[in-house]
Amino acid sequence: MWLPLLGLIVGILLGLLTDIRIPEEYSNYLSIAVLAALDTLFGGIRAHLQNIYDEKVFVSGFFFNILLAASLAFLGVHLGVDLYLAAVFAFGVRLFQNIAVIRRILLTKWSKSKEKLEKN
Amino acid sequence: MDKLKKNFSFIAISAVIGFMIAIQFQTVKKPVERDTRDIWQLREAILQEKELQSELLTEIRSIEEKLLAYESKQKQSKEQALRDTIQELKIEAGMTKITAPGLIVNIEPIIEEIQIGADISTVVSPELLKRLLNELNMYDAKFVSVDGQRIINTTVIRDINNETKIDGHSLSSLPIEIKVGVDNIETAEKLYNQMKVSKATEEFFIENLKLTISEPNPEITFPAYDNPIRIRYLESLKANEGGNT
Repeated sequence: MWLPLLGLIVGILLGLLTDIRIPEEYSNYLSIAVLAALDTLFGGIRAHLQNIYDEKVFVSGFFFNILLAASLAFLGVHLGVDLYLAAVFAFGVRLFQNIAVIRRILLTKWSKSKEKLEKN
Repeated sequence: MDKLKKNFSFIAISAVIGFMIAIQFQTVKKPVERDTRDIWQLREAILQEKELQSELLTEIRSIEEKLLAYESKQKQSKEQALRDTIQELKIEAGMTKITAPGLIVNIEPIIEEIQIGADISTVVSPELLKRLLNELNMYDAKFVSVDGQRIINTTVIRDINNETKIDGHSLSSLPIEIKVGVDNIETAEKLYNQMKVSKATEEFFIENLKLTISEPNPEITFPAYDNPIRIRYLESLKANEGGNT
């Protein structure tokens, strides 16, 4: 379970070391893409813990969510409406829900293992 | 091993997310630009801006005056205001004869070089002439004429078959008289002093030419530019276009 964290750290290090900068205009898109990706990641972790994890769903969800969020932001820019706020809202709510579910699952697991320990 | 395979997409995707976060972080965090200019450089920058400001103010004033003139003369004589503008533009473009304070620069061969039987250098290279004119323009020269040829913005100075030509007029014989006009006599004094210490004299000396700079003269007459000015790339704007680009 620690492997995703390791991947995250490796990714951050790679990003910091390569010193890539994207143009200022596109930083909006990247931020929304990051949010979508984080949402997918936490959704994946939750599914993992609930034993309903499917790799295809996870990988396709990752790319699809990013594309959807970026195109929504793009559309928003061209329509003059801050449509990316819709994506921020949706992903933000889901992120919180997912993290809450993960927390509860971990809490139950922890209390169960504690009970077991006390029984023995 | 199977677990690793199962986790692979997790790891890859979290690595991608990390990468994206790092890039976003770097994009948002701008490097702090430090101003390393010292006080004299800052003063110079302020001076430049001030000059620009005063120039712009002068321009604004003249345009406002013109506007006022247009408005007041609108009913009586629109033509007069337009004619004044045309005249002003003609003066600016160099199409009129004009008298202004300034000084005269003479280019002549060096006397020591004149020997019996030896060739005298008679050609002023276009590069040298361009350099001199650029220098004069740098010192606020407003009107310049070389050997009776008025220099305007579109004037070309070039070498055709070893002859230096200014807009088709060839400079074949020395001495050459360059008239330089400025706004007022004070500027002429300044120009004179600057020309006296300028490197141009030495640059001409290298080519066996002597540069004589006359004292500032309050009235020098400059001929009009006599060739037609061809405007090839300029187009007039329609009433509803422009102004907002």
